[in-house]
Amino acid sequence: MATITINGTEFQVDAKSTIIEAARANGIHIPHFCWHPKLSVSGNCRMCLVEVEQMPKLLIACATQVADGMVVKTKSERVIQAQKAVMEFLLINHPLDCPICDEAGECKLQEYAYQYSVGYSRFEEDKVHKPKRVPLGPNVMLDVERCIMCSRCIRFSEEIAKQPVLTFTQRGTHVVLTTFPGSELDNPYSMNVIELCPVGALTSRDFRFKARVWEMAATESVCNGCARGCNMNIWTRNNEILRLTPRQNEEVNSSWMCDYGRLETFKHVNASERLSGPSVRVDRELRSIGWEETVSELASELRGFRKNEIAGIGSAYATNEDNFVFQRFIKEVLGSKHLDLLPHVIEQVEDDLLIKADRTPNSLGARNVGIEPSSGGLSASGIRNAINDGSIRALYVLEDDIAADPEWHSVLQKLRLLVVHSAVQNATTALAHVVLPASTYAEKHGTITNFQGRVQRLQPAVATSETDRRMDGLAASRWDKFSSKNDRWGRPVKFDARPSWRILVSVAAALGTRMKYNTAEDVFGEIANVVPVYRGMSFARIGSKGVLSKSSPVPVKT
Amino acid sequence: MDILIASTKIAVVLAAMLTSVVFLVLVERRMSAFIQNRIGPNRVGPYGLLQSVADVVKLLMKEDIVPAKANKPLHDLAPIISIAVAMTTFAVIPFGNAIELFGTTIKLQIADVNIGILYILAITSLGVYGLTLAGWSSNNKYSLLGGLRSSAQMISYELSMGLAIIGVILMAGTLRLDVIVEKQTEYLLGWLPAWNIFLQPVAFITFFIAAFAETNRLPFDLPEAEPELVGGFHTEYTGLKFGLFFLAEYMNMITASAIVVTLFLGGWHLPYADMLGLSGFALSILQVLTFCGKIVLVLLFFIAIRWTLPRFRYDQLMSLGWKVMLPLTLANALVTALILLAF
Amino acid sequence: MGRDNGKMIRTKDLTFWQKLYLPEVFKGLSLTLSQMFKPKFTYMYPEERFQPPSSFRGRPILVEENGVERCVACGLCSRVCPALAIEVQASETELEKERYPVRFEINMVRCIFCGFCEEVCPEEAIIMSKEYELVFSSQEEAIFGKERLLTPAEQVRERLEFLRNSR
Repeated sequence: MATITINGTEFQVDAKSTIIEAARANGIHIPHFCWHPKLSVSGNCRMCLVEVEQMPKLLIACATQVADGMVVKTKSERVIQAQKAVMEFLLINHPLDCPICDEAGECKLQEYAYQYSVGYSRFEEDKVHKPKRVPLGPNVMLDVERCIMCSRCIRFSEEIAKQPVLTFTQRGTHVVLTTFPGSELDNPYSMNVIELCPVGALTSRDFRFKARVWEMAATESVCNGCARGCNMNIWTRNNEILRLTPRQNEEVNSSWMCDYGRLETFKHVNASERLSGPSVRVDRELRSIGWEETVSELASELRGFRKNEIAGIGSAYATNEDNFVFQRFIKEVLGSKHLDLLPHVIEQVEDDLLIKADRTPNSLGARNVGIEPSSGGLSASGIRNAINDGSIRALYVLEDDIAADPEWHSVLQKLRLLVVHSAVQNATTALAHVVLPASTYAEKHGTITNFQGRVQRLQPAVATSETDRRMDGLAASRWDKFSSKNDRWGRPVKFDARPSWRILVSVAAALGTRMKYNTAEDVFGEIANVVPVYRGMSFARIGSKGVLSKSSPVPVKT
Repeated sequence: MDILIASTKIAVVLAAMLTSVVFLVLVERRMSAFIQNRIGPNRVGPYGLLQSVADVVKLLMKEDIVPAKANKPLHDLAPIISIAVAMTTFAVIPFGNAIELFGTTIKLQIADVNIGILYILAITSLGVYGLTLAGWSSNNKYSLLGGLRSSAQMISYELSMGLAIIGVILMAGTLRLDVIVEKQTEYLLGWLPAWNIFLQPVAFITFFIAAFAETNRLPFDLPEAEPELVGGFHTEYTGLKFGLFFLAEYMNMITASAIVVTLFLGGWHLPYADMLGLSGFALSILQVLTFCGKIVLVLLFFIAIRWTLPRFRYDQLMSLGWKVMLPLTLANALVTALILLAF
Repeated sequence: MGRDNGKMIRTKDLTFWQKLYLPEVFKGLSLTLSQMFKPKFTYMYPEERFQPPSSFRGRPILVEENGVERCVACGLCSRVCPALAIEVQASETELEKERYPVRFEINMVRCIFCGFCEEVCPEEAIIMSKEYELVFSSQEEAIFGKERLLTPAEQVRERLEFLRNSR
């Protein structure tokens, strides 16, 4: 430990830390562009200059190690002059095209220009012109004019993503960020440079010009792309998801998120193939009918089968709550022993950083809450064989496209009754006799359990036809808050979908069994009572960062 | 024959009043516009003369809305009371001297009542029932406040009104309006018409102020008071029923002017007219025209005051009524009586 | 009460004549009656129309130059609009400005003609016109899209000059 004085206050700090780390640990902000706690120190932006007593010149706080008795001033006259000078240099060649730039609103340069700059420019000459609209890779767009040469992206690609393809060429004001010839920034984590970039030089190609950041509302949630369960924010405008960004959680995903998770896990929520309203197959055609009619029809159909003629397929895509109610429904309401789920594992994609081979977000959680055959019941392959030989004639599938598997596809046609909960049209709904539209992870409350056994919260970011953004407490932007029916933005697209657990509760009620759940929290309350590994948990305790369950199968990396 | 004469008089007076209301509204709108450097309604008919007709048609075609939980019978009755009172008050006012027609002498007064003044005071007191009932039956807090205000205002100012008239009655020694007018046709000092405005100036001023209050005109229109009470007692009235209130207000104005003219401004008396040497019939017509002309002048004064003065605050209204008007009129009555007793 | 050399003088006690009230009433009457004979301000609309000066804030319009809008869809007007009347959806264009509004809608029922959008616009792309005759027969009709907002720069030259001079 070392004792240092910052702005007149004494602090006990780690003797090996740098000034900027020591200050940050004690809640003192030193402005910086190139320094990032997860990356190596580069020390090129000069924004973090501080005054250290008995030192002739100002020192950069990011690269100066603390020493016992050091006296640091971060707000002295000299420091403020230096900050103004650095800002003036950085802004000389910055194009100031904030109206066009996607970074505007969450731009470090913009913020510091307000806080540490003089507010006007003395530069009257022509600015340096450099390439604009340069695709660095499939997902990242580069505007070199906006670049302030902090090199965060270069260091990230080398140190975290292990794909050293970025570099600076030229010198002085003519420095250009580029990829090495013949290579492009296409690693699975390439989009993290977008958040790392303190200016708008690197922007998302997918999100390009979709919305201004202040028009969107952010909802804390968890990625459903694989068993990692990266913490993330869902950004919505006009009830539509526009982008996903990582949310820091050192236990799970640090500050990162993979490109697959960012781009491929939300498109289906607002897709045109979303199911809206339940439908029942009549004469080979799916017909849309109301919820009540569908549920009562389904209940009378289900009554026509003997207990061992029915089987259930749970889902590693669905929440703990959905799976818990599902296993109760199959085992207690329908009285069947045949219950299992299908794993979705792709071994090749797993890496050392975030991506897991298990492509489902909740396989551990689904098992924990009881998605498994009862004693004497059939497992997934057994169910498939039993359908093939005709001993199982009705199958109830929860939120999984089992018909995507050719082996299943061929046997499903033999079923007398195939019931599917699904958010979108897919191969299974094409074969189903009853299709119940399920809410996606972005439309409901619930919990999922990642590969570590960490239980994390999902929260609704998108309103369905039965929810209201303001009444149900969804994150709302200014436009969401003050919309009326006369405004175009007051009439968003809403899908008629319900959380699977609620659909199951209503089907159970039609079959004569009352399950007393009104909210997802009620269901989780019961899970916390009856599932030993979740004992004592609650939505409140899980919070925004999750809670590790009692018997975690994998020791947690710290 | 008497009935025929009486009903002819009623028809003529009523028709005259209704038409004058129509033009009075227009005059008020045009005059207020001119005071505010505007032009006013000038599109319907020549110079906008038919504007009021258009307004009447509009009012007749409007939907009659009765608020939920309003007392419907009373809600309907209130405007009828108002208009009935407004129409009957004029009955005792002599609008001219007697006229010779077809060999019979016809008094230009609908009802020659020997307690004319008392009749006027009694009937105008009834008018407040219309407003109070309208305010109460509407089931609306603003209406109720307007109704309550109008009762309080009426009671406060009727006192001063009555006391102001005492002076005039003492001078005339009768309650008959035709005699009161007759008395005013004399001359003081040989040249000044013996109008009560000269003999009873204090009574005139207080009576005139009270007349403003009784007709709910600015600066005393607290029962309506748009900025604070929306519309006061008539907030919940639409269409024809609102039209009746509107009509009643303007008829009251005309009646009040007529009373002022009768009691203080010499009624139909045109000074020195008898020196013109006109025939009896022509003189009678001239006198009726004089009466009308005087009313018009008083009405114009009513309107000019409305567009000049701001509304009184409620406490100011009450303190003026009870602390200024009442003592003043009492003193006036006392002094008049003492002087009459002394001489 | 009156103003004298910029100092406010409050009369707490009324004089005897003011207390008498009646003389003051006649003073007021003489003022109002004298107004009756002054010139009138009324415009005889529709025959006679108000020609607004260039400082007038009529309905906002989008300036069109060389066949395209100046707007780069930055959304500042939308953000600053106190009545939330403006909705902008940006998209990419091949032009040098990179960004353009694929949809730009002003809900004229919401618009309060404050001119904040004009003031905040970094491109001088949205400005207030002289147009004040706005009639709609439905809520839907009151939502003005690009087709009704775009106005060639030549038609609004006067306002553009006014803005430049008053900066």
